[in-house]
Amino acid sequence: MRRVFRLMGGKRVVEREVDDEIAFHLEMRARKLMKQGLSPEDAQREALRQFGDLRSVRERCVTTDQEREWTVRRTNYLTELRQDVWQALRVLRNNPGFAITVIVMLALGIGANTAIFTLVDAILLRTLPVRDPQELVTIGDPSRTSSFSYNNGPQTSLISYPLYRDLRADTSVVHGLLASGMAGRMNVTVDSTDQEPERARGRFVSGNYFATLGIRAVVGRTFDSSADETIGGTPEATISYAYWMRRFHGNRSVVGHTIRVNGNPLTIVGVTLESFTGEIVGTPTDIWLPVTMVDAVNPNSRVLPDRNAHFLLLIGRRRAGVSLAAASDAITAQMRRLLGEHLNKETSPEDLKTLPVFVSDGSRGLSRVRATFGVPLLTLMAGVGVLLLIVCANVANLLLARSVARAREMTVRVAIGAGRFRIVRQLLTEALVLALLGAAGGLALAWYGSRLLLTLASNGPETMPVSVRLDLPVLGFTVLASVLAVALFGLAPALSASRVDLASAMRGHARSVTSGGGGRRGMRFSLGQLLIAGQVALSLVLLVGSALLVRSLQQIQRADTGLDRDHLLIVDLDKTARSYNGERTANLTRDLTEHIARIPGVQAVSFSENGIFSGSESATSLQVTGFVARTADDSTANFDHLGPGYVRAIGGHLLQGREFGAEDVAGSERVAMINQSMAAHYFGEGSALGRYLRFDDSIAVRIVGVVGDIRDHSLDGSPLRRFYVPYLQPLYGEPGGLVLEVRTSGDPALAQLPVRAAVRAVDPLLPVDDASPLSVLIAQSIQAERVLARVSTGFGFLALLLASLGLYGVLTYAITRRTGEIGLRVALGAQRSTVVRMVLGDALRLVVVGALIGAPLAIGGAQLLRSQLHGIDAIDPVAIVVAVAVLLTSAFAAALVPAMRASKVDPLTALREE
Amino acid sequence: MLDPDGGLLRGTLDLLILKAVSWGPRHGYAIAEWVRMVTDDELLVEEGPLYTALHRLEKQEWIVAEWGYSENNRKAKYYQLSRGGRAQLRAEVSSWERYVRAIGKAIGASAPAPA
Repeated sequence: MRRVFRLMGGKRVVEREVDDEIAFHLEMRARKLMKQGLSPEDAQREALRQFGDLRSVRERCVTTDQEREWTVRRTNYLTELRQDVWQALRVLRNNPGFAITVIVMLALGIGANTAIFTLVDAILLRTLPVRDPQELVTIGDPSRTSSFSYNNGPQTSLISYPLYRDLRADTSVVHGLLASGMAGRMNVTVDSTDQEPERARGRFVSGNYFATLGIRAVVGRTFDSSADETIGGTPEATISYAYWMRRFHGNRSVVGHTIRVNGNPLTIVGVTLESFTGEIVGTPTDIWLPVTMVDAVNPNSRVLPDRNAHFLLLIGRRRAGVSLAAASDAITAQMRRLLGEHLNKETSPEDLKTLPVFVSDGSRGLSRVRATFGVPLLTLMAGVGVLLLIVCANVANLLLARSVARAREMTVRVAIGAGRFRIVRQLLTEALVLALLGAAGGLALAWYGSRLLLTLASNGPETMPVSVRLDLPVLGFTVLASVLAVALFGLAPALSASRVDLASAMRGHARSVTSGGGGRRGMRFSLGQLLIAGQVALSLVLLVGSALLVRSLQQIQRADTGLDRDHLLIVDLDKTARSYNGERTANLTRDLTEHIARIPGVQAVSFSENGIFSGSESATSLQVTGFVARTADDSTANFDHLGPGYVRAIGGHLLQGREFGAEDVAGSERVAMINQSMAAHYFGEGSALGRYLRFDDSIAVRIVGVVGDIRDHSLDGSPLRRFYVPYLQPLYGEPGGLVLEVRTSGDPALAQLPVRAAVRAVDPLLPVDDASPLSVLIAQSIQAERVLARVSTGFGFLALLLASLGLYGVLTYAITRRTGEIGLRVALGAQRSTVVRMVLGDALRLVVVGALIGAPLAIGGAQLLRSQLHGIDAIDPVAIVVAVAVLLTSAFAAALVPAMRASKVDPLTALREE
Repeated sequence: MLDPDGGLLRGTLDLLILKAVSWGPRHGYAIAEWVRMVTDDELLVEEGPLYTALHRLEKQEWIVAEWGYSENNRKAKYYQLSRGGRAQLRAEVSSWERYVRAIGKAIGASAPAPA
């Protein structure tokens, strides 16, 4: 028997073989039958008859063979994979320096991506841990989770309680409509022995809140819809699992326990599931109270029956078959109809059509954090993506350099019969092993990195409470990023390495892939050089991006606030906790200002309802005599209640008239100040002094002063129209907030303790919610911009470092290979400086090519950043010049060492080696 | 219990095939001829099922196949026993012998003694 070499084949090969085998059998049988005397035709017929059902036998043989081939192939594949992995590990162990460099770089790239993705997942992607989150739909602006707006005009970003009741009655498109609002710190007393009330995060919710979300209690019960029946009739509280553990140590007897919120007794009825921290991403809730208890818990509050008190956000479940768009249309129409039934005089039904619609997908809950950090996070995600590309280019270059060194090994493998595919596969396996080791390091980095980012992004010492964890989506992302990286950095070197030239490699003359075609000068680039140029280009993109963000941050920080930002202490008091009202408020504010003014170093003190870069914000609609409003927006303005001497106290500018004094109290003439923007809007060039503002047709207020615009809540955007009325002449009843503005001669932080002491001296039980220098509050207001600028600068420099290392590596390698050539040049009389210039020139060529590729990319990237930039153009010459200068400097530094080394080549040694 | 492979007790054909290739490589036709010869044409009613059994045994890795050239220089698929197949053959032979002994004893037994 002679043997025939048989290859594995597909289905067609299997079929042919089975056919051949059966044909052979039939032929042999027929031949034997013919020998026994049958005619050829009879013999063939008899052979077939003896064989039986040919078709079915053939089919079964083919099926069996195919199954066998699959098994064999799988086994072979796994065996080879195991061999490859072992081989890869062996190669890496023999080159620890190379392995560690590559793994560290990959860990940085993958880790940075995973860290950012962890936050993207937690803040932007993850759905709420509630029943069927995809059915949920939100009504109202989902970022205004803790806002209160008193406004007698129609409003859709926040919902009043009466409007909520009306909307809830119609269940045709959305059912189980729940309301939540007024999130914030509450003064909670758990024990009667507690001296200071603690500040827990509370939220008022409708009775169907837990039922709609499908959240049950682990202990006791949650609210039911009976909590909505009577106003103020359900003194109950449901607490979160985390709060239960923290404050009650998981004691089950907590049910029935009475706590006091702002002094009002409420009974704890249950504890929610551990997984549920509320419907607000980034702000876990400790205590839920029935919304019907708002007025009972907050002194002087009468917001429930008031259609002008907007403070709720709504969440409902779409009925089966109702799309989000259909639900949005139906809810919008319904809201316009309901708002139209209660219009004030300044608003026409036409105005309702111009109101923005706030109906959106509720599967991921509500979040202020998401609104603040959403776009910055995606920007960072794009940035780390670019960083990973740079890492891949760098690793690819290292692999290329190594593949030259390994040319002999590859040649031997080819010579003993390894196919090109087999070699590519082995090299890709090595790349995959590297990537997975890098990914493992990256996960560890991401674990710390994402927490570091959260700390950076948080106000004050408390870390932003976003639950970051390395869960399935995150791990999936990491694996995907690694595989992508392998494809990017592993494929090109593998293909290039497998293309070995047997004869020349065996003679030991494998040409370097990085030496530019064997040292030939000219404008031809090798793969390695292109990778360097690509890294330079991508680094430029990141550097320009981060330079723009830093410049933008500087612009914001330098923005003119119209007040003395460096010498103000802002003190937020909770006067509702002590039920101040009317005459008592007047006495309190007088005593406080007198006490604080006596503190050494305090130059002035005043107070307001809303505060500066803290506290709340008020807006109202108004009429101005002689001004015809064209849109609803025309007749609304923001406002604040101010104490005497406020403008002087904050270092503002009084442009015309006077500011409020001690004489502006209840009973005297109603007066107001307006800011410059408001004066320009309503009176143009004319004088505002002596003109009147009217509210609800009943209150008339005379303008006695015009003040310069003050940036009091945000550093970007144009200043809002704003007017001011005296704190003791309140526009709509007793102001809710009380904020002291204390101006100091030195560092305002030093006044914190004396001011707190002064407040205690006036009323020992008056809670001080916060006392912070204005500069700190302003810094917090631009937290997202600061984090973005800081982190992107970090990534920019990381990219620069990697690109410089890459450049250094390639130049060093090239010079090693050109030692002979350089030695010859020196021997023929070339100056050392000529050699240095030559090497630097080579480096410069790569950097210039990279910059030319990078420039359009950077400009394109800057366009994408535009929404993140304040006060500068997307094409900012300063940012671009800085980025290019930094790039050139570090490229020069990276090239200098190899250049100096090249100039020290000893011609004799070099030529002897050759 | 009749086997769809051709009217044989299940396993019997497998046993015969393993035996047929135990002396060295043989192609399917040669195995068929050998089975016909040693069983006096009694067992192999149809020859097709022999091939489905051969392919099945190959998948089970008891026999390995290789293409070669026959005596008359035709390409033919040759089967031979693998190491595992040889062990399998031994096991099947001994279990067959036990079976035959047991049945033989049963058939040759006299009437049972009254209880």
